[in-house]
Amino acid sequence: MRQDRKRLLEHLQDSGLIQVVKSDKSKQGFDRVDVSSQMQVFERNVTLTEQALKILDAAAPEKTGLLSSFKGRREIDPDEIGEIASKAKKVIEICTRITELDKKRADNAAEQIRIKTRLAQLETWQKLDIPLNTTATKSTAVFIGSFPAQYTEQRLGEALAAENPKLEFELEIEHSEPGMTCAVIFVPASQKTMAEDALRALSFARPMSPTSKVPKVKTEKLKEKSRRLAEESARASEEIASYTEHRESIKSTQDYFRIRTDKYNVINHLDHSRHVFVIEGYVPEEDCEKLETLCNRVSTCHVSFGDAGEDAPVKLKNSKFAKPAQNILTMYASPGPDDLDPTPVLAFFFYFFFGMMFSDAGYGLLMVIAIGIVLKVFKPDERMRNNLKLFQYCGVSTTLWGLVFGSIFGDAPAALYNAFTGSNVVMAHSISNMGDPTPALLPWPIIDPQKDALTLMIISIAFGLVHILVGMGCKFVVCFKKKDYAGAFFDTGLWMLMLMGFAVLAAGMIASPVLITVGAVIAIASAVGLVLTQGRGKKGFGKVIGGLASLYDITSYVSDLLSYSRLLALGLTTGVMAQVFNMLSTMMGTNVLGIVFLVVIFLMGHAINIGLNALGAYVHTMRLQYVEMFSKFYEGGGKEFEPFSLNSKYIKIQEDK
Amino acid sequence: MNGIFFAILGAAIATVLAGIGSAKGVGSAAQTAMGVLSEDSSMFGKMLVLTLLPGTQGLYGFIVGFLILVSSGVLSGAANVTLAQGLAYAGASLAIGFGGLFSGLAQGKAAVAGIAMSAKDEKNFSKGMVSVTLVEIYALLAFIVSLLVVIQIPNLK
Repeated sequence: MRQDRKRLLEHLQDSGLIQVVKSDKSKQGFDRVDVSSQMQVFERNVTLTEQALKILDAAAPEKTGLLSSFKGRREIDPDEIGEIASKAKKVIEICTRITELDKKRADNAAEQIRIKTRLAQLETWQKLDIPLNTTATKSTAVFIGSFPAQYTEQRLGEALAAENPKLEFELEIEHSEPGMTCAVIFVPASQKTMAEDALRALSFARPMSPTSKVPKVKTEKLKEKSRRLAEESARASEEIASYTEHRESIKSTQDYFRIRTDKYNVINHLDHSRHVFVIEGYVPEEDCEKLETLCNRVSTCHVSFGDAGEDAPVKLKNSKFAKPAQNILTMYASPGPDDLDPTPVLAFFFYFFFGMMFSDAGYGLLMVIAIGIVLKVFKPDERMRNNLKLFQYCGVSTTLWGLVFGSIFGDAPAALYNAFTGSNVVMAHSISNMGDPTPALLPWPIIDPQKDALTLMIISIAFGLVHILVGMGCKFVVCFKKKDYAGAFFDTGLWMLMLMGFAVLAAGMIASPVLITVGAVIAIASAVGLVLTQGRGKKGFGKVIGGLASLYDITSYVSDLLSYSRLLALGLTTGVMAQVFNMLSTMMGTNVLGIVFLVVIFLMGHAINIGLNALGAYVHTMRLQYVEMFSKFYEGGGKEFEPFSLNSKYIKIQEDK
Repeated sequence: MNGIFFAILGAAIATVLAGIGSAKGVGSAAQTAMGVLSEDSSMFGKMLVLTLLPGTQGLYGFIVGFLILVSSGVLSGAANVTLAQGLAYAGASLAIGFGGLFSGLAQGKAAVAGIAMSAKDEKNFSKGMVSVTLVEIYALLAFIVSLLVVIQIPNLK
């Protein structure tokens, strides 16, 4: 019913359950209610408050800490909304006042610049004691102006006489500098035209803006005015600064109008008849029931659900473990209607690879703890919280990999121990060097990226193979769901078999010759299968060519796999850099000076290392997901579910009233 | 005659050439990024990521250089390098030296384009970033070759 409109919309907006479909045309028998004029007022208010906040920030910068960007929106009581609404008018008045004052300041500044140029012009006429715009007295014609050359009184007289010997004149130099002479010339009124011609020949020019006052007086006046403007501006600035206490209420008011703009925007797109109105929109399946009860509770209405169709937006739903990686997925593309939601797979490999590249127990623990504190103290918004959580999970994985690689701030424990006791211990023994008699700090054998680079490279590529196979597995499932069995088995399955065949073959080279045969058989069989099936869309001779040509794709798989060697390279980089900084920091010995040096270099070095390598690990992990894995199956192109909700910037309304 | 000179030469080649590539790459990317930042300073984080991408080559070169110094014993002061080993170090350094030099230059150009693209629309950022890392694989391959050789050289006779 129409009279329920306000209440229903408010509740819908609070709940954020539905994405309203905004069609441009109304259905037959329905009309649109045009509220765009109100909407414009609200939008104007939003812009006005934005401007006011900007001016306030310039006048009195908000005190913000380094970490305040993590801070979430301010939570407010649902009742406070009413209060904000009742005060909105006053806040808008303040904002108007602020922008007015700011405009005044700008005008004043412009005026002052004008005055300054006037003053500069008048500067050269300070000695003159008649008004600048004097052109004649009773019996004489007066010429006040400048020549574009430097003259003395005598030289100017000679120059004028040379132009017209008959001319009688009297002259006075007011100011002279290279390239300019300011002078006053008196001639009898009868010789005015003669004098004009002579002066024109010397490129005489009258002042740009003559005044009716004596220059000195005028200068004083202008200076006075400039002073007054400066004072006025200062007063305006002060007044602006005095409004800083309203900053919070301006922010809330801005959000209040933002929310109302959204609401009116929805009303604008609703179909109305005389008594009823229709809201059409997408609702996530699991929220249907909630929506129905809500609507029935607050209004008299009829709710019906239908199939969402092809164009429906996508709402991702994931477990706590995978949710943080959703941002990484949507940065690439939202899943299309045919896609699996790859977030869980993505999340697992993201944490795994990030850890392997960053691989340091010290750094990892630091990440986990620092992010834990930030989450506790600042209570960030959902999006930021997810991002932080992502890195927290990455931190856990980093710690584990750090232990596998035997790296805690590089080799810091061993390096420091050695530096202070003069002994010679190592962090741990690598798997290839178990019999080493030197004492080790870590009791378990490690994979040392420096000594076991080859082993680690093979491991990296093996992980890459798993990653790619999982990606292809997803493709297999997608094809299967679409009932594209040929695509599933021939295009994807055979390639998977082939890759596995090569993997077995490679394993056989190390382990046993039996596996070589097995692997080779699998690989050859799947290659034959590919040749037979890949040309199936073509005709005649093309069938054979298409089949053979598809085998060429093997090169792309090889380069994909080699790409995973970056797992080794970045892991090694972190470790070696840390080791270098440890070495530098212990260089100065263990006296007092040396210890100061140690602390400074140690902290700075590891900070640099964390910055550089965390960035590297993040970027390269992302690349492995996007380029190597997503290219195997992920289509993307879906639209994100954007519910009609309280879309605010500064305040957040507490849930559960 | 021992090979210390060539070992040190190798360390220098690896560090310097790859460093030049990265320095030029990061330099040109940073110039473009500052142009963008002068318009919109809120993009700093994204610009920083794109600017730093061509920086890895220098890092790889440095690591190879460092590993040469460690494994040849120059750092510990107990260098015992035969002429053949020294020449091998110098040879191994060529891969990351030249690989890093040219891939750094190329990645710098890609980063400049990526920055321009993200400046037009921030949504392009992740695509730009991934495209820029495509260049990196070649620095990576060069690095791995240098690395695998360098760690084996002490076993060479």
